[in-house]
Formats: sequence, C-alpha cells, structure tokens
Amino acid sequence: MGSLFFLQLKGELRKLFARKRTYIGFGAFLVLEVAILALFQIPKVRRAFPGRMIERLGGAFEEYFSGQTLALIVLLVTFLLTMLYLALVGGDVVAKEVEDGTMRMTLCRPISRVRLLLVKYAACVIYTFALIYWVAATALIMGYLKEGNGGLFVMAPEQNIFAMYPPREGYIRYASSLSFLALSSLSITTAAFVCSCFNMKPAAATIVSLSYFMVDWIFFHLPYFESIKEWFLTGNMTTWSNIFRPHIPWDQMVADYAYLLGINATLLVIGIVAFSTRDFKS
Amino acid sequence: MIRIEQLSKKFRGRAALHQVSFEVQRGEIFGLLGHNGAGKSTTFGILLGQVFPDHGEAFIDGISVQQHRAKALRRVGAIFETPGFYDYLSGWENLEIFAAYSGHVPRSELEAAVHTVGLQGRIHDPVRAYSHGMRQRLALAQALVPSPQAVLLDEPTEGLDPQGIHEMRELIRQLNRDRGLTVMLSSHLLSEVQQLCDRVAILHQGRLMFEGRWTDLGGTSPRYRLEVDDWARAVACGAHIVAAPDVIELGSDEDIAELVRRMVEAGIKVRAVEPVRPTLESLYLEAIRGRDESKSYPAAATANS
Repeated sequence: MGSLFFLQLKGELRKLFARKRTYIGFGAFLVLEVAILALFQIPKVRRAFPGRMIERLGGAFEEYFSGQTLALIVLLVTFLLTMLYLALVGGDVVAKEVEDGTMRMTLCRPISRVRLLLVKYAACVIYTFALIYWVAATALIMGYLKEGNGGLFVMAPEQNIFAMYPPREGYIRYASSLSFLALSSLSITTAAFVCSCFNMKPAAATIVSLSYFMVDWIFFHLPYFESIKEWFLTGNMTTWSNIFRPHIPWDQMVADYAYLLGINATLLVIGIVAFSTRDFKS
Repeated sequence: MIRIEQLSKKFRGRAALHQVSFEVQRGEIFGLLGHNGAGKSTTFGILLGQVFPDHGEAFIDGISVQQHRAKALRRVGAIFETPGFYDYLSGWENLEIFAAYSGHVPRSELEAAVHTVGLQGRIHDPVRAYSHGMRQRLALAQALVPSPQAVLLDEPTEGLDPQGIHEMRELIRQLNRDRGLTVMLSSHLLSEVQQLCDRVAILHQGRLMFEGRWTDLGGTSPRYRLEVDDWARAVACGAHIVAAPDVIELGSDEDIAELVRRMVEAGIKVRAVEPVRPTLESLYLEAIRGRDESKSYPAAATANS
C-alpha cells in the first residue's frame, strides 16, 4: 500500500519536474540572485549596508559582509517571488489538470479522490521544500563566490532581530532556517492548492490565494488589529526568522507552526470535500 | 456486465438524464446514440464515478459504481472524445503515470497494450508530437491496462480521418473478438455504430428512447424503392410512400408481388422494384423525428426484452 503511494507520488513529481516551466522558474531565481548580488557591487548600495551596526555589536564589516550574509539577504528579498511562484504551482496542480482533461483520465482509474489529492499534495510539499532549498543553496554558493567565507549578520527590524554569528554557527543557523522557511511557505502552496480543488481556472486559484495573503498581510500591519495579530497567517509565517535569535523561542515557534499546520489541515479538508463532491464532465 | 438503473441527473435545474435504465451484456459491442446534449457523456460520467447521479445507480460487473467506485472501476478502461495527456512527457511516461493509479502494473502489460494499438515505434516520443489518431491510440492503450473486462469509449473516432476511423474500428473489433472485451461506445458516426454494434440505446433529451437491436428500430415492415411512370395512380393502387420520392412501405399483410400485379393491371409501367435495406442512420433520424413530433415519452421501447 505504502509502496503504491510512492509509485503514484513518483508520477506526480515526474509531472511537476518534467515541465519546462519548472526549470524556467528555477532559472529565474538564479538570474534574480545574480542581479541582487551585482547590485551589491555598486558602492552606494554597499555603503548602505549597516556596517556601523556591526561595529557597534563588536564585529568587523569585512568579516560579516560575507557570502552567507548576502545569501540571507537574497533569500529575504526573493521571498515574495518565491511565494508568487509557489502560488502559481499550487494553483495549477489540480485546476490545470481539470482544464487539460488529464484529470478525467485519472479519475477513470480505481483511485479514490481523497487519495489522489493526498498524493498531489505530497508532491506540492516536496516541491515547496525543493524550491526553498534551491534558492537558498544557489544564493549561498553565489554569495560565497562573490564575498567568500565569513560570519553571518542578521538584521530583521520588524522581528526585532539583530545578531551576528561566527561562520560555523552562521551556516548551521542558515541551514536550519530553511526547513522552517519551507514550512512557512507551505501555507501559500496549500491555499493555492485548495483553491484549485474548486471549480475554477488555474489562474483564478493563484490570484485568489495571493489576494488572500495580501489582505492578510495588510491586516497584520494595521494598528487596529494589533490585539489579534496572532490570528494572521503572514505574521505566523515569519516565525521562521526566530531561528536567528540568539536564544531561539522554541515554545513560540511550536505554537506558531501548530497554528499554521492547523490552518493548512483545515483548508486541505475543505479542498478535499469540495473536490470529492464535484461532478467532472467535459 | 454494465447495468444502469433509473438514472436521473440535473445540471443547474436542467434534466440531463431522466430515469434511464439499460443493460450491456458481457462480450457485446453496445452503442449509445443521441444528439449533442442527449445525455451520453453524463451516462459515461456516472458509469465512471465522475458524475454523481441525483437518483439511480450504475453497476459494473454487478458492483455499484456509486457505492464501491474503486472496486467497480478495476474492471473497466475508458477513453474520451478528446483524451487529455501530459504533452511534454512521452507516450510511455503517460502510460506509466496513468497505470500507477490502478496499482502496480507490470512493464510487460504496458508493452502489450502499446503493441496492441500499434504505437511501439513512437511510444517514447513526446505526446505533443503525436497526431490526433496516435493520441486516440494512446488513449486506448491506457484504457487497456490493467486488463479490463469492459471498455467505455466516448466518441472514439471523433476527429479521425477515414483511415484512422477504419483502424480504430478494426481495433475495437479485435479487442472484442480476441479478448472478449465488452465494449460500450458512443459515436455520431452512425455508419460506424451500425458496423460495430450488436445493440444500441438511443437517448433523446435525457430520456431513453430505444434499447435493442438497431434493425428493430424501424419495425418489421418491408420497404421497396419503386420506379413507375405514374405515382398518382400507384398511390391509388395502394403504394404507401414513406420516404419521398420513391420509397414505399408495405403493411404487415401486404405482399410486393400482389401490389405490383395490381399496378400492372391498372396500366402503370413498373420499371423497377428494389428492396430497401434500412440503415441505422435512417432509422435513427426517423425515430428521433417521430419522437419530436409526438413529444410524448412513454416507457422506453425495449426490442429484445
């Protein structure tokens, strides 16, 4: 039974990763990373890097303006694009197959709709992690090639995080943050995936899910909703950055991820119910 | 092998099917006919568990599709009018992906299906390079794994050229003959259905109008094509024209020799008398026309029951 699930998952992954679009997306991230790193060559941009803050914290600019610091900056800057790309892929997974007629072919098979969606969702989860790891790895490699080895400087004013780590600890924190970042990003993949389970076009599924997150982000930043800030997904999604605090607030992170996973699971159940009760007809 | 009972389905308040019942015997080739919107695709959809009926049930090999969908679908394969494939993958990869949703299918079984439809030379090409006919063949190959007892073919010859239509027809015949597959197909090409099917069901505006041997569709009255010099007098002698200008139908107690004798005695020159074999197309159109004119729907006629 389990091996059959993996066989079906392999098929779903093959569909995802055999598409040219997948690699165009991955390539686009690479280009963006190169562009960001190239911009850091400009003296004005370089000067804007908070060297004084590093010195106030007791470090040397040259030591902390390193490959991994640049990689983290790239990761943060490309985050919006990552979200957009994940929404595009998540919104395609079911709706595009319905549109192309491959879903009807699949539904001729003796597989339950619930299982089919779970296989597809598992492929989405893997894809989300793969994309985050790809962006992070390429950013780190290119940052290293450009600025070499060095410590990690983290500055996230919104989360009130200002920290510096020696190279080894920096790499460990950078690597550990990726799985949490992917877990946070999974929320948008899930939302787009669930939208695509309804009777709508792939583009509509992407737009609806992105709109939801945009509204959520605006609400999160409105002072009126300060007292209910923890309800908003985008706020909880930033919890991955806690990995860069000197003392990681694990209890807070567990609570935030439990909330996100709970929302994801609820959305997934809604998507499964909608998909399972739909008529499929040409 | 396939049985549907009292199926009804409405889409946005409009009845797509209304209390439709019929049965497809094991090993036969059965045609489902009807105009666009008659309910054929809805029937296929319900049989494949893709459309939920408002009322009634569909059975495959005695297993209810609505209650045990997966178990029932293990026994059938299906293709649609415009089969959807992952165009950027090869035909073989498509087959592997679809087959995986039925379980572990041995490679040899996939190869046999490819061989049956004659795609072995192109199976590793991307599907986007396939012609329409090749796509239909690939669709049939995926319907043949893993070893179904019946295949449901919704417009299998749609969009094919005459050569493709001929090949598809022969393939269906071969599958029915060699593997004993039950085939249920719908097509707008009535000449194809006529050549392939043992029995047919006709759906009209969501209702079953006829089920049985298509030759029984027009009743049993013999028809003839006459060539005479004076039709007015021929009619007066008892020639009943059913298809203008020259096709007559005899009453159950009438004899063509007797009618010709009367016409000759009346001085009419009878130049030719030729029996007319009805086609499915002519019978189908006549039946639909007759039903549209009467606009009443008594219980469906079942010719072989």
